Amino acid sequence: MSAIQVIYLLVTAATLLCGYGVVASSRLMHSALWLGATFVGMAAIFVLLDADFLAAAQILIYVGAITTMILFGIMLSDIRDLRPEPGAPVWTRLLRLVLSPRRGLLPLLAAVGFTAALWVVTARTPWPAEPAAAPDNVTASIGDVMFSQYVLPFEIASVLLLVALVGAIVLAMREEVRSR
Amino acid sequence: MPLHWVLATSALLFGLGLYGALALHNAVRILMSIELMLNSVNLNLVAFSRYLHPDQPKGLIMAIFIMTVAAAEAAVGLAIFLIIARNRTDVDVDKIHLLKG
Repeated sequence: MSAIQVIYLLVTAATLLCGYGVVASSRLMHSALWLGATFVGMAAIFVLLDADFLAAAQILIYVGAITTMILFGIMLSDIRDLRPEPGAPVWTRLLRLVLSPRRGLLPLLAAVGFTAALWVVTARTPWPAEPAAAPDNVTASIGDVMFSQYVLPFEIASVLLLVALVGAIVLAMREEVRSR
Repeated sequence: MPLHWVLATSALLFGLGLYGALALHNAVRILMSIELMLNSVNLNLVAFSRYLHPDQPKGLIMAIFIMTVAAAEAAVGLAIFLIIARNRTDVDVDKIHLLKG
């Protein structure tokens, strides 16, 4: 096993642990911080896959913007996670979770089943074991293709961001301001 | 590393996000789970682009567009949760039925 494989396994394990923290953490704020850590781990995986530009975009957009926005939203709105009976012992809560079909068993079965199906399908297909030699300038070729072949989607994406910005402002404005 | 590994990582992350989106009560947590799923999709796109078509960065461009859409979705979603949380104390998806006839 080469050094990069060991690094990949370590980074992946850290990322998946952080992802587990997002779903399983009992406090909403911790969950959001775990989400930020997961995004950083994904950026590291992108670097290992020779996608430097995407790693930078991941840090800027996901860690810098989305995580901050979620934290800001949580703090601004005083949204809480209302957990039923936090004092109950762990095994009671686990049993209740497994026994409730809507909130425990069915989502678990769906998620595990889907993951297993994905895993089986991808494991059975013969994939190239190692990537070909990395192209020398990925960022430049992204720019080339983005601004020639994908100009229209690029412009549509900018319009989408503008619309989302205006929509979010209009939605989040206070009622008094709107009715004045 | 083999492509299997990257795809397995992506599958596990997607499973986590899927479980979160289906099982959790809080709308903000569901939003975070959706972000996890979008991230795993991005990882798939990057891996396929790198291993199968290293000369064409189309998968990377698609991942950038997914990031854009995720940012827009998070902004609008959080604004909606904000006004819902302003009118009631929590954003439990089981109790939100504003559109119910």
